[in-house]
Amino acid sequence: MVCFILVPFWILNVGQCLVQKDRFDEELLLKPLPSGHVYAYFQFTTVWDAPSGPQMFQHCHLFPRALGEVAGRHNVQELHVTLTEGLWRYEYWGFPVSDAAPGAELWTWFRNDTKDVDNIWKKLTGALSGLLCASLNFIGTPNSLSPEYSFRPTGVVKNSNLNSSFVRYATLPREIVCTENLTPWKKLLPCDSKKGFASLLNAGHIHNTNYHSLGLHIRPVCKDAKCTEVSIELRQTVSLVYDMMILGFQNQDWSLRKLFGLGLSGPCPLATSSFIYVDVTSNETGTPYQLQPEPTEVITSIRGGYESKFKVYNIQKMSFTHMLNIVATYSTPKVYAVNVPPVLYASRYIVGYGQERGGIVTKIHNNHWKHLDIIYLENIPWFLPIYLHTLRVVAGGKEITPILKKYVPGKERSRPYSLEVLLRIPARSVTEIYIEFDYVFLKWQEYPPDANHGFYIGSAIISAYLPVGKNYMGLPQAGPTIYSSFNASREGFLLQLRTESLIITLPTPDFSMPYNVICLACTVVALAFGPLHNITTKRLCMKDGNSCNGLLIRLKSMLFKGRKPQAQAH
Amino acid sequence: MGLLTDPGAGRGKLTMMLEAHHGRLCIVLYLCGVVYFALLAHEHFSAATYFSENALLPGLVESEYDEDHSAKKFLVELKDEGSRYPDSMPYSWLLAKFGQMGLETYTHNFTLEYPLGPGSQYRGKNVYAILRAPRGASTEAVVLSTPYRPPSSAHPTTHPGIALLLSLAKFFRRQKYWAKDLIFLVTEHEQLGTQAWVEAYHQASSGHPGVLKHGDLPARAGAIQAAVNLELRSDRISHIDVKVEGLNGQLPNLDLVNLVHRLCAMESVRHTFKNRDNANYADPWRQWSYSFRTMMSMVFTQATGMTNGNHGLFHRFGIEAVTLEGFERRTAGGPPMFYQMGRVVEGICRSLNNLLERFHQSFFFYLLSATDRYISIGAYMPSLGLMCGALLIRAFSLWLRMSSEESAQASNHESNESKDEDELTKEVDQKEGNINDDKFVDEKIEDTTEISEKEESTISDVKEKLGLHGGPVLVVVGGLVLAAHVLGVMAVNLPVFVTRFAVTTWNIPTVDCVWIGSIVFSVLLVGAATIIARMVAINPDVPILLNIAALLELATLLLAVAMHNFSLALVCGMLCTPIALGIGTFKRWWLRGAVRILWLLVHPLSLLSLAVLLAARTNFPEESLMGLLSRTNLAARQALLLTVVDSLVYGSWAFNVAAGTFLPTWLLLWVAS
Repeated sequence: MVCFILVPFWILNVGQCLVQKDRFDEELLLKPLPSGHVYAYFQFTTVWDAPSGPQMFQHCHLFPRALGEVAGRHNVQELHVTLTEGLWRYEYWGFPVSDAAPGAELWTWFRNDTKDVDNIWKKLTGALSGLLCASLNFIGTPNSLSPEYSFRPTGVVKNSNLNSSFVRYATLPREIVCTENLTPWKKLLPCDSKKGFASLLNAGHIHNTNYHSLGLHIRPVCKDAKCTEVSIELRQTVSLVYDMMILGFQNQDWSLRKLFGLGLSGPCPLATSSFIYVDVTSNETGTPYQLQPEPTEVITSIRGGYESKFKVYNIQKMSFTHMLNIVATYSTPKVYAVNVPPVLYASRYIVGYGQERGGIVTKIHNNHWKHLDIIYLENIPWFLPIYLHTLRVVAGGKEITPILKKYVPGKERSRPYSLEVLLRIPARSVTEIYIEFDYVFLKWQEYPPDANHGFYIGSAIISAYLPVGKNYMGLPQAGPTIYSSFNASREGFLLQLRTESLIITLPTPDFSMPYNVICLACTVVALAFGPLHNITTKRLCMKDGNSCNGLLIRLKSMLFKGRKPQAQAH
Repeated sequence: MGLLTDPGAGRGKLTMMLEAHHGRLCIVLYLCGVVYFALLAHEHFSAATYFSENALLPGLVESEYDEDHSAKKFLVELKDEGSRYPDSMPYSWLLAKFGQMGLETYTHNFTLEYPLGPGSQYRGKNVYAILRAPRGASTEAVVLSTPYRPPSSAHPTTHPGIALLLSLAKFFRRQKYWAKDLIFLVTEHEQLGTQAWVEAYHQASSGHPGVLKHGDLPARAGAIQAAVNLELRSDRISHIDVKVEGLNGQLPNLDLVNLVHRLCAMESVRHTFKNRDNANYADPWRQWSYSFRTMMSMVFTQATGMTNGNHGLFHRFGIEAVTLEGFERRTAGGPPMFYQMGRVVEGICRSLNNLLERFHQSFFFYLLSATDRYISIGAYMPSLGLMCGALLIRAFSLWLRMSSEESAQASNHESNESKDEDELTKEVDQKEGNINDDKFVDEKIEDTTEISEKEESTISDVKEKLGLHGGPVLVVVGGLVLAAHVLGVMAVNLPVFVTRFAVTTWNIPTVDCVWIGSIVFSVLLVGAATIIARMVAINPDVPILLNIAALLELATLLLAVAMHNFSLALVCGMLCTPIALGIGTFKRWWLRGAVRILWLLVHPLSLLSLAVLLAARTNFPEESLMGLLSRTNLAARQALLLTVVDSLVYGSWAFNVAAGTFLPTWLLLWVAS
């Protein structure tokens, strides 16, 4: 069937594929949250045993070449991009599989041999901005941090000497995520959006959610247990939180069709595995629901002392005569029970009023029975000068001394304020971290359009190593898939919380009235100039009080100049 | 600046003329100010309101609110539930209702340490629910609030407002277009609850520290963009009155006020301002007088510096807020208005939801003469400027007269010493033929010589006695000004001190304590000031200088107050200016006495009593004179106490301004009179 001449090429191609072994897994996790929302988490994982070297990304199979080239050219060791709309409500929703800050968030580890990191970082953000149609090109040195403790590499590291000068972190809290970001994101998938789980991602439905977050994570992972060679892993994620009530449904029953607008037509043919997991743990405590059709498997996972149950649909083993629609039906109407918040959550807000000075408060709730060690990363833009001496950490009325503080003061227009605090927060407590700042005046060109909307301050990040696995859904460090997180008990579970981003009104000039300002300024200058000029150039001297020097007299004296000396001589 | 540096200034023709005719000029300026202000109500001087912020897009979308049936149900349930708690809020019922809608519900505790007297504590609890916007990250929020009034409250019920609020929450919960979080707030103890909640939200105390302990909130929702306070007295309402006047005379952005009126008009809900419809008389005189009364009604409310609804407490925090008060329909029957009202509030919230920027366009300083006509700050400021101008001109001409007298005296001395030279110059002048000027100078010299001859001896005697010579006059005046202001500071702190001391010792109620304390303090001050006035009047320069200083201070004070609360400055200016102009003008004893009596009438306490009397007269027109007086007596005491408490709890500065700055100025002018 194949033309004879083409055969050698074909063989060559196959040979290449055989050499660069790669696999693609697609997974979907569905979980009804205690607040009545439905959490849908898509994860598409590509692992590629890529040949190392500069030619690395020239021949790709399942791995998206566009992204590979960007990563390869910019000496990227690890790359994490998230584009998020909305805020993950930890208090009511528990923990997500992967956290993301509102807006755009980007953090990267560059390879140890990278020279001029700032420059290459700027180039990388520019390239990613084009790749994802997001305003990532606005990231540069003035809004990037190099946190010392909060961001460690998630993948394999060759030597354990980590230098935080090779990490860059930045957020764009004002970034609005929309279809234009979703489309290029979907193009990075092997099956695009034509087949497999990606066909469920229809813009009209996923932007109707209370929270949606697109993610791209590249990291090096071990090829085998001995870890002599490394592979490259790309994780593409979509987190969605649906509120059935605002979608116009009378009850809280949900189904693939209700959530995504259509059913699943089959797995991606290129995928090694396709799984849908439905978390049914809440069936035992909350309002129970029935699933249709029956799952292929039921998994009980015990993680960190907490048991959860999943119903698993192995899509590749199912026959598709028509579209698959998984339907959850509740037997009783929803009752809003008392909320049980997770072990750790936080909120952040601005205190004070007026436009002179204010404060930022971050409240961290620890519901665990034991104290927790946390790292708090504060990311403050340069236009909001904070004062380190005002930093106060109070828990239950008692002041806590931080174990460690790392503060990099900001510089106007060139560097943000970065503060990392290592804290031990007491058991069952609410800790308040308070810091004061000043409002400053910006130059008039520095105000963004819609200047009175306010200025954004990115989320703070709280990192903790949780000793219990309650509510925890994150992936274990070694495993790339959701499947690998089942029964993955560890000593601790790394959690990174993102707080709310804040909006602040800086003193804003009245841009609609430049004319008035010009008029007023000119008048003031004109009025002030005359007398000032007078005072500075004329000499003051006393004059005889009796001599009349009205205008008329002076005129006369000028006219009759000759007669005056006579009169005086008289 | 030229005036300060040019030693020859003040001798020009213009200044001479000013000095000669300043009395008439001042009266003309004052009258111009008053007439100009009155004219502002005319439609030629006011402008029609318009939307400056295009993002509001009022009424662009079709209203969808249809939960009026649940509002009716909520009202029935709330009436039933509320009757079980005669003195408090049915917290659990409210929390349950909000909770069942799937909203985040919270309570907020606050404590008031009553600042006057031996100290007592009042506790309160607010309930609020947050609807998290599906299209936002909790960076911005809009507040919908209603005060809860238990059956024992003296105020009319607000149950229908709460029922509407609940039904709106139920309706809004189902919508997907929210970009800003919505906070549904039910407050307790009227303004106290709202103040505590707003303070807790911003973790900032605006009153006296330690008085209102605002506590903390369990949850927040970003920067609050606007607040709408609902006070519906009945489900069958005749009209909605839009209240705008806030604490310290602050007003919400005109766009918000305009938005409410526009949406009411759109949903055919009768809407008023100051409980007055828009008049449409053919007769221009009647039209003007109607608008004028509406405007004055706003001026008097704003001048009190107190808020006439819970909205006024948000303004300080940069949150635009209005109150919608629904009045019960007098005639029986008719269907409930929940449907229309729900749509009005829905429209407001959706417009606010559209806002991309905070309210910053349109006007923050304005007067309204109808629901759809406004007078901008540029139009009304000149009226006060004219009045203050009169005061400043009076001060300036006094200064001119004094300095000319001084220089005349000085020249007189010199002329006596060197008569020859004088004659010489005179001769020269005569030769030059400048007859007019010469005459003027001659007369003046003669005048001053007469005066100086009469008083020379006495003045020098006294000066020696008092040790005053030129410079020390300023020391005396400066000392008096300083003393007056120290007394002002004492007056500000008087109520707290007196009540702490007297209530425990003599067991007098706080109200009487503050009232009697203030009166005694004032009488003592006036007495002392009169004696001091006698003492210092021996040197005629002292009262004049005092008068100048006080007039300058009064004018500055009025203009400064006008920057915040124009109405207060205007009312004070209208009353004080003519009398202040009369001080030191008249020579005859009975005229001076009349001025003094009139000046007594504008003492802050008398002004308060007069205002209360006026209010009593308008509210109870049928009352006899004696009845009115007794009412005034009681109400004035209450008013004084409330003003003091407001300044301590809410940070209202009506009392502080009156006692701390107006009283010293008043005293100085009293000494000068």
